[in-house]
Amino acid sequence: MVLALVALNTLIAQSSFRIDDLNARIDTLARRNLQLTSEHAKMSAPGRIADWARRNGMRLPDDIRFLHAHDEPAGSPAGVADPDGAR
Amino acid sequence: MNRPQLGRLVALALALVVAMGVIVVRLAILQVSRAGAFQAIAFDQRVHPIELAPWRGQIVDRTREPLAMSVHATDIYADPRYVEDAWTTSQRLAEALGEDVDVEELVDDLTADTSFVFVARQAENAVAERIDAMGLPGIGFLDVSARSYPAGPLAPHVLGFVDIDGNGISGLEYQYDSLLAGTPGERIIELDPSRLHRIAGGVDRERPPVPGSDLVTTIDRDFQYQVQAGLEEYVERNRARGGTVVVMDRRTGDVLAMATYPWFDPNDPAAAKEGEWRNRAITDVFEPGSTNKVITAACALEEDVIDLEERLSVPWKMDVGPFTIHDSHPHPVQPMTIGDILAQSSNIGAVQVAERLGPTRMSRCLSRFGLGHQTGIAFPGEDEGIVPPLWQWTDSSLPTMAYGQGIAVTPLQMISVFSTIANDGVWVQPRLVRGTIDPGGTFHRAADAIRRRVVSVETARTVTSMLALAVDEGTGSGASIAGYQVAGKTGTARIPRPQGGYYTGRSIASFIGFLPAGDPDVVIAAILDRPTTVYGGIAAAPLFQTIARYAIERLGIAPAEEVVYPPTVRTVR
Repeated sequence: MVLALVALNTLIAQSSFRIDDLNARIDTLARRNLQLTSEHAKMSAPGRIADWARRNGMRLPDDIRFLHAHDEPAGSPAGVADPDGAR
Repeated sequence: MNRPQLGRLVALALALVVAMGVIVVRLAILQVSRAGAFQAIAFDQRVHPIELAPWRGQIVDRTREPLAMSVHATDIYADPRYVEDAWTTSQRLAEALGEDVDVEELVDDLTADTSFVFVARQAENAVAERIDAMGLPGIGFLDVSARSYPAGPLAPHVLGFVDIDGNGISGLEYQYDSLLAGTPGERIIELDPSRLHRIAGGVDRERPPVPGSDLVTTIDRDFQYQVQAGLEEYVERNRARGGTVVVMDRRTGDVLAMATYPWFDPNDPAAAKEGEWRNRAITDVFEPGSTNKVITAACALEEDVIDLEERLSVPWKMDVGPFTIHDSHPHPVQPMTIGDILAQSSNIGAVQVAERLGPTRMSRCLSRFGLGHQTGIAFPGEDEGIVPPLWQWTDSSLPTMAYGQGIAVTPLQMISVFSTIANDGVWVQPRLVRGTIDPGGTFHRAADAIRRRVVSVETARTVTSMLALAVDEGTGSGASIAGYQVAGKTGTARIPRPQGGYYTGRSIASFIGFLPAGDPDVVIAAILDRPTTVYGGIAAAPLFQTIARYAIERLGIAPAEEVVYPPTVRTVR
């Protein structure tokens, strides 16, 4: 009886340590995920990209022109601006 | 051998029985009657509740790119009772923490008569790991979160920032603090006497914290960057004290970009100079100058006090009480239609139109356009502007308000005026937040913006045609863009002195407008504070043009059918 209780207690303790290990691993991976998200946000920041582009000789276009389809009169709306679609 | 006396044996036995009885009674007291209390004391010694801080929600732009987020960091603390060599420990800590740390101050902390002192708050994890590897006695670590603004000084006045404990104290961080903060949780855990290790199989209950919701703003991150870059360039080019740009979607009231120069990095708000934290687009007022003529013209048309083809005789100056009002440049008395007055930005013409309206209708009209009232955006510190109540008006109030002096507005109020014209006469409440994302990932759309009709569709479209004329042939030519019809108005407002009167040679130069005039997509306010180039048409219109070009590119704005210009003295016979 005593031996059985000791064995049971040992099993419970082992499981408890295993759960602790898994929780620690989850925590580590969650931290890593957050760290990568943060790094991605910093790397994709427009200021950083603009600096990189400038250093590599890129610049904004001087003029913006819209091309219209053949059968549409000049000046006719080509579509509705969509801020949500802006990428 | 003498046998002990029976009496002594009995006495000894009785004594033993009594002693045992006392022990039994005491045991009964401890184990039965007071068992609960002692169990509770023992439980309290082993079991510890730990508050679990919730994870603060992100602030993201309209395309869900993060503008503010929380990251893991470490608070480093010391228990001076266990620090062995305060001087060496301080030196090694200072080396790891960086140049800003004062070693002598650290020595004072590490020798203080206390059991807890912070060495560094929100240190980077790499730094904490280096210090941990040193194995310094008496130094401990706490996992915490720190707020990070990954794009640096991007829209800092809108986002605001948090204090060292993560509480929002400015901007959206403050306005939506309770929503972003989440709800703390609790972990109840059974520890060994060292309080460092959990007792396996012991009590371990957890009520997890509820993370804060994410806030989805109306800001477009990349466009905001372009707006800030353009604003900085024109502030420097015009050697202005500062500037403000607001870009708004006239249909939804969404603020797509909002920038004030100079700005600051919310990752290090303490480095900002005094006043640089203020979101001047919302919290500060200025006299709008000639941009206010839009209201004068719209009200005159709405109240039908002037005909579009009517020619007014406009001198270049006129006396109003003790003051002399004049146009920006001398000219002979000349005939002008209301379209000419707006396009050429004639102060005297605007005064003549306003006099036909009279103070009561002018006052009502200013109020209908939202001047003197908060917009309802609910941003911390929003100013309602200054429009004196009608009973305080003097003889000079009506004429000066006709061309935008003697009243004060925020840039947000003024862009809302132009947005109303662009939106066929319907005022739409501006907004900075599109909705929230709860911890389960569900998006909750913010309530639709409040709308109210201010002027008729016909009036709004007629004023739009006047504003298009102002860009094509009038003072706003610097804002024109090839292939697009732009509608807008220049403003050059003098700056009032605190003791009365106006500063000489100091002005707020502005250009507010929208495009394409025939079917507007965006409304843009470009305002420069004290540019050396003085005039709105010279200083601010090119800034508007630059921002508008960015908007065309970024938002995919196509040209629309052009509006027909209003009658002018050249077309009216």
